[in-house]
Amino acid sequence: MRANIPPRRARPAWTWAALVALTLSTLLPLAVLVLQSLATSWRWPLLLPDDYTAAGWRTVASGALGRSALTSALLAMATALASVLAALPIGRSLATLRAPWRHVAAALVFLPVAAPPIALGAGLQVATLQLGVAGSAVGVWLAHCVPAIGYAALLFMGVFGARGRDDEEAARSLGASGLQVWWHVLLPSVRGVIVEALAICFLISWAQVALTLLIGGGAVRALPIEVLALVRAGQDRDAAVGALLLVVPAMLALSALRFGARRTDALPA
Amino acid sequence: MAVLKRTIAAVAVSLVAASLLAACGRDASHPSPGSDANAEVAELAALPWDSLVARARGTTVTWRKWRGDPAINAFVDGWVAPRLRERYDITLEAVEGQGAELVNQLVLEREAGRGRGTASLVWINGETFAQLRAESLLAGPWSGVLPSSAYVDSASPIISRDFEQDPAGFESPWGTVQFALIHDSVRMPEPPRTFDELAAWIRAHPGRFTHDQAFSGVTFLKMLMYAKGGGVEAFAGGFGDERYARGRTAVFGWLDSLRGAFWRGGATYPPDVAAMHRLFANGEIDLSMSNNQHDVVNKIRQGVLPPTARAFVLRDGTIANTHYVGIPFNAPNPAGAMVVADLLLSPEAQLEKLKPEVWADGTVLDVTRVPEPWRAQFAALADDPRAIPRDTLARYARPEVSPRYHERLQADWRAWVRGDGAP
Amino acid sequence: MSARPDRLRESPLGPLLLAALVALPVLLGVAYALLAALGVLGAGSSDTASLDRFATVLGARSTWRALGWTLYVAAAATALATAGAALVAMGFASNTRLDRSARALATLPLPVPHLVAAATALLVLAQSGLLARLLFAAGLLDAPADMPPLVYDGAGVGLIVALAWKELPFLAVVAIALRQDIDPALDETARTLGAAPRYVRRRVMWPLLWRGMLPAVIAVFVFALGSYETAVLLAPVDPAPLAVLTMERFADPALARRGDAYVLALVTLALAGVAVAAHEWARARWSATTVSRA
Repeated sequence: MRANIPPRRARPAWTWAALVALTLSTLLPLAVLVLQSLATSWRWPLLLPDDYTAAGWRTVASGALGRSALTSALLAMATALASVLAALPIGRSLATLRAPWRHVAAALVFLPVAAPPIALGAGLQVATLQLGVAGSAVGVWLAHCVPAIGYAALLFMGVFGARGRDDEEAARSLGASGLQVWWHVLLPSVRGVIVEALAICFLISWAQVALTLLIGGGAVRALPIEVLALVRAGQDRDAAVGALLLVVPAMLALSALRFGARRTDALPA
Repeated sequence: MAVLKRTIAAVAVSLVAASLLAACGRDASHPSPGSDANAEVAELAALPWDSLVARARGTTVTWRKWRGDPAINAFVDGWVAPRLRERYDITLEAVEGQGAELVNQLVLEREAGRGRGTASLVWINGETFAQLRAESLLAGPWSGVLPSSAYVDSASPIISRDFEQDPAGFESPWGTVQFALIHDSVRMPEPPRTFDELAAWIRAHPGRFTHDQAFSGVTFLKMLMYAKGGGVEAFAGGFGDERYARGRTAVFGWLDSLRGAFWRGGATYPPDVAAMHRLFANGEIDLSMSNNQHDVVNKIRQGVLPPTARAFVLRDGTIANTHYVGIPFNAPNPAGAMVVADLLLSPEAQLEKLKPEVWADGTVLDVTRVPEPWRAQFAALADDPRAIPRDTLARYARPEVSPRYHERLQADWRAWVRGDGAP
Repeated sequence: MSARPDRLRESPLGPLLLAALVALPVLLGVAYALLAALGVLGAGSSDTASLDRFATVLGARSTWRALGWTLYVAAAATALATAGAALVAMGFASNTRLDRSARALATLPLPVPHLVAAATALLVLAQSGLLARLLFAAGLLDAPADMPPLVYDGAGVGLIVALAWKELPFLAVVAIALRQDIDPALDETARTLGAAPRYVRRRVMWPLLWRGMLPAVIAVFVFALGSYETAVLLAPVDPAPLAVLTMERFADPALARRGDAYVLALVTLALAGVAVAAHEWARARWSATTVSRA
């Protein structure tokens, strides 16, 4: 349970400046993207585009961007689900480790999160080619799962390690099966972290560029790949549309999650 | 050395072990197609065209190509793909992938030892073709089998040689482009027309000129090498270290004398053409450039460049080259790939993509030899008024030289700009 | 299942194998990168291994400049994001609507990918970008060239700002959670004892936050180190970030130079390895204080 901090008597002046800076830094980039996505052209020294068009947004409905957004959403959901499912038992198992091994295991699990994409990508390319899934959505999904599982396993390792195992031992001594322990003891106690892990794993896949490019071999057209292609082609209007597609639904989903979570005390903020 | 060997052995063993581990997970019932597409291509090349088409019917062709231009994507997805479906029941999947990525991917696929790869057709030219051939990653010969290959303008050295290499049937041409500089006809009504005029202009207008770090930038340097190193003839006929050394001295001498007057004092360069176009459109620089003489018209239409932007060529000559399609050694569907390559080469498709409102990609056909009604339509096709007239382009067109020149210039330029020893 | 003897469950072998399995793709990647760096695998490889590629890459001035510059950019961006996140957590800690909105604002850009952050930074920070146009409209500039360069600049300002902006929400989530876990009595006690609010922030809140944030801070540092999309869109040609140098070599027109990319990847991997060790050290050190979130 988180304590409520009583309001300060007087708000320090710097927090007002911070609030203005925060508002600007969060909303200004979004406003720029919205304007750019609607601009026919927007060149120096104009503060606002000289003319507007919905042509960029029509490309969403007519194909490429819309389809790739769907691909990305499916990939990210599948990644989040699979990674959290895999990471739960892994994290639980790693949490049983003691001092030296505990750190070795945590470091190993953190490696896929920290490794530069080209090194991770080469390994995953060899693996997915061997499995015969390179260049396919399945291969890309497996590739996304690797850093996501690493991240989530670390998260669960932390929580399971912190909460101790007394109630679990108690349940076991009362004759609960492994599955029953999971269902009745372990999962309810980490519900909030599961939500958080799902969200982060979703985002790891949703924003992924390097692994999708390397493993997908150009054939899996996730949204970030399309946006990168548009940016590098100088198509700033369509790129802005793609960028907003990447950002806005995810922001809304996350806010909704947080709003729902506030009642169950799952996510901070 | 012993330590090194032991390390390699250990790593190799773990790699093999891991591969075996992965291989165990592979579906055993997976049909194992022929180890490569070469045998199949040879067999297809011996078939009558109609039988080959029958073989391709109902299949899917994955084509890895550069997807960086909406005009080209629209032509491929909106014109080529529907015709393939209508006429041959072929599904075309045009996916991203070019140059270096293609080579790396195919090398890895071969190392992994899988039967067939993913792409049946690849968009290539120049050094990519050289690398794919050197690594035996292309299937062939096959391009002479295409019915439309009869109309190819084989007399043109720019089409019949790819960076001086004989395609030898391992790639089929599908378009030509020519390098052009871009100026704003209002801001700069009279652009410099030679490298000397350009140098004088840069000195007079410090901070207003740059080139990009990527392919177009290196092509610009190569043209500079031709102009200052004795013309393209001095570099034609294969790579020569001594000749390159002379050309390099000329290029970096020119750059050294002007660097301080470049945009940002020559300390940095835009990463690619798109970034350079952005600088040009916002008036940060006065000249842009593109490997495609018609890029300016497409980009005006897309709102990327201002309506007053125009392309021009230097009288010292600008480089023209041809792009091709090839079939990888492990193509899953070579028959379908050949049908696609033939459609790309057909007078109908060549005419369509030459249209200024479509893409304005140069044709590789000898338009005096194509059958009617195409011949008349080619003759009647009017240029976009904003484009460089075709005879001007032809007059100043210079062929490519060995891809080694490109490799060396790229490497030496990076070393020069980063102070990695004198080039 | 429940009858398993305790000793077996406590053996570290099973969990360690699981951890190794998660890391397997990286280990495989390291093996491949090593072989490719030695020149026996990959494009342009031959049958004989040699250390030539290591010598070439590690002997180049640009490699070390890239290394130094990449570390500098990652450190600066991480420091900026950490400071911002801590300020948000400390300045907007109460349950008032204003503070809740401020916290929501700070964490809103959490799902913004690196790519979008970089593309937007280009639109705002370029010499002809929105910021320069505002200054032009205010009469402070005459032309884009008068604007101090913030993108493709040697100081990496644009890159640092974009990375910090992208990572701040993540660190803010962590910092806010930590701040709310801090016992309010602590704050009150310190103040009742006569400590000025500034003193409380500096001597009580900040050390507690810093301890808890450290693992997340290190993670952010590693992401900033390896991020390619931001670097390629915003960095100068010299010094080049490691990620850009790596991809440049990976796509070098000369096939023989592609293996250099794997040497650079191994260098980056070594940096990541150090960071992973630091991460573990930080977790171990502070695990008593708080449950790590990263």
